[in-house]
Amino acid sequence: MSAVSDFPDWGDPNSPANSYRLSQHYVTETIHETSVPNMVTAVLADYRGYDTMFETVVIFTAGIAIIGILRRFGNDDKDAAKPTLYTKKPDLIIDTTCRLMIPIIQLFALYVIAHGHHSPGGGFQGGVIFGASFILLAVSRDLQAAQKWVPEKRILNLAGIGVLIYAGFGLGSLLLGQNFLDYAILHKIMPATPIEARSHSMLGVEIGVAFTVTAIMFSIYSNLASNGSMKEGL
Amino acid sequence: MIEQAPALILLVPFFVSIFVALLGNRFQGICFPLSVLSLIGSVAASVTTLGRVINEGTIRYRLGGWEPPMGIEFRIDALNALVAVAVSGVGLLAAIYSKRAVLAETPDKVSQYYTLFLLLITGLLGMVITGDAFNLYVLLEVSALTSYALIAMGPKRATLAAYKYVIIGTIGASFYLLGVGYLYIKTGSLNMFDIHEQLIARDIFDSPAILVAFIVITVGVWIKMAFFPLHAWLPNSYAYAPTTSSAILGPLMTKVMIYVMIRLTFTVFGSDFAFIQLDWSDIIVWMSVVAILAGSISALAQTDLRKMLSFLIIAEVGYMVGGVWLADDMGLVGSIYHIIADAFMTLCVFLFAGIIFVKTGKRDITALDGLFTKMPLTMVGLLVGAFSLIGIPPTAGFFSKWYLIQGGVASGHWEYVIALLISSLINAVLFFRIIEIAYFGVKPAEGHGHHDSDTHESGPNEASFSMLFPLLATAAALLVIGLYNQDIVAIISSFVSQFNFGVIGI
Repeated sequence: MSAVSDFPDWGDPNSPANSYRLSQHYVTETIHETSVPNMVTAVLADYRGYDTMFETVVIFTAGIAIIGILRRFGNDDKDAAKPTLYTKKPDLIIDTTCRLMIPIIQLFALYVIAHGHHSPGGGFQGGVIFGASFILLAVSRDLQAAQKWVPEKRILNLAGIGVLIYAGFGLGSLLLGQNFLDYAILHKIMPATPIEARSHSMLGVEIGVAFTVTAIMFSIYSNLASNGSMKEGL
Repeated sequence: MIEQAPALILLVPFFVSIFVALLGNRFQGICFPLSVLSLIGSVAASVTTLGRVINEGTIRYRLGGWEPPMGIEFRIDALNALVAVAVSGVGLLAAIYSKRAVLAETPDKVSQYYTLFLLLITGLLGMVITGDAFNLYVLLEVSALTSYALIAMGPKRATLAAYKYVIIGTIGASFYLLGVGYLYIKTGSLNMFDIHEQLIARDIFDSPAILVAFIVITVGVWIKMAFFPLHAWLPNSYAYAPTTSSAILGPLMTKVMIYVMIRLTFTVFGSDFAFIQLDWSDIIVWMSVVAILAGSISALAQTDLRKMLSFLIIAEVGYMVGGVWLADDMGLVGSIYHIIADAFMTLCVFLFAGIIFVKTGKRDITALDGLFTKMPLTMVGLLVGAFSLIGIPPTAGFFSKWYLIQGGVASGHWEYVIALLISSLINAVLFFRIIEIAYFGVKPAEGHGHHDSDTHESGPNEASFSMLFPLLATAAALLVIGLYNQDIVAIISSFVSQFNFGVIGI
């Protein structure tokens, strides 16, 4: 409590966090240095891109960890009672609504991902929306139906590839002779100026993030819902 | 490539972990060789970096090419270069050991296990080499999440222990994040060195917010390192985890957190603030005395081998926290040296416990019955590790205790010196009990003939090469670290000499 009284006022333009050259630099220089209008995305994906890469890894790790702990391979789940309560016929209203909704949700998710560096949005948010559309499919039908579209192997590959895309942009700049994640050097292999290369690379890493988040969202859901058997459940 | 060596320290295991996740399900056989190769690469990169640091001084590596504090930087000086070598080295040895243990303990999840294992080492290395306070939190999350999962993949008891660890560990990490938030509000920066410069430039060391930030960060880190009153999560987690998990977490997790404590105390807040303005070293040294004694005495009460070793870790954490807070050059040197030495000696005894568990299937120290005749090389490995924990020259443990005791004497903290000596005696009792059981058998008094013939027929034989090699290599490393202690201390001193301890210092 005594510490809170010591904080600068709310919204004070002269508070250390606002007046220090760090925020000043972000606010004034972002557009020149990265040609990205949304400076939140620029800080996230470029200035502090290394943090964000590991945030993606945290999500990836969470997914792998859930699989490692919960997943039961093989047919050792005889004792698991069949959820007879949930064997239901597809409900017409739910089915039709979801059939209409899911493509729209996915389209919106793609918009959020693609527009991350112009307006609020980005890979994490878009990925969550995209993953939610698969979860909606699993909830409205059953897990098997959703598994048909996104089988477990494909999910894991998608998650790994997502992280790999992000890290690949870093590795690309490292191989071209600059530091890890220095996107500007990528202009050598992109039809763009160094500054535009930063902007394009940000889009690229956002897509990588979206891959991972989508996959892990659905993977965690299906492992939790089916108690690790990936067979039945909600 | 040599300019990129700092980044490669952690990028090599990181990339390989993703490949293991992608390909490991289909080709299970590649997980182990890929992991070992990547860690060999990591060791090579960290040794190269250490060499550069010794020759050229502090290395700064800008990620994304941005100048700090805009971007994140790795800032590697003598302290973290040394710790990075130890972390990657311990990781490599544990990975070699894992070959058979993982197949025996988690046979259907090999690729997941290696993915998490490599990500854990990535996280720990990232914490060691980063120069950014928030980046440290992100990598703390990576290493914490992986360690929860690596523990929970064990048998049923392990899952419960891991659940406790998740709750307590998350509280610790939140405390750390809260502290970083306070620092950001007051300084507007996240780069550790920049925060320190800002604290000086704005002259806000008196501010209560900085004090609270210091307290919550320190307590958060203490929770993560299992400093005595905050240690409850550790013994069961490490005792019931799969053996490879405890062989990597036992040596590394607590030691890296001690590195983090040293880094934050000295680099972010500065020794003047921590030792002269606050002047809490008496209280904290007393706390560490309690931690040393409590850890050692609890270890004495255990019959489960790995649980006993886990309580020894708690005592060792007490050594190092106390050594740092002695506010003395020698104490700090001793603590840093002990991070390196203790990482290897804990690895040594946990590898031994793992081999015994995989070979005999028993957790008790009675499993060691008469092992000197059946597994002589394994026991040689244990002997070196045990001598090091007790502190018998020329092993590494002797020299680290020697520096810590010198620090205790120089700063007048006799209670700390006495606690160290008592703890060493207790270690001697513990390990000579083990050696006695292993050499003479459990019940020497009754039924000699029958007893011997039983165990000789059904008992285990020598461990396989992939398990024995890391154990003996660790034992050799302990001797090397001990014999070359002057060179290591010279490196550490180049870090320690930057700080003045005011009136107390030498």
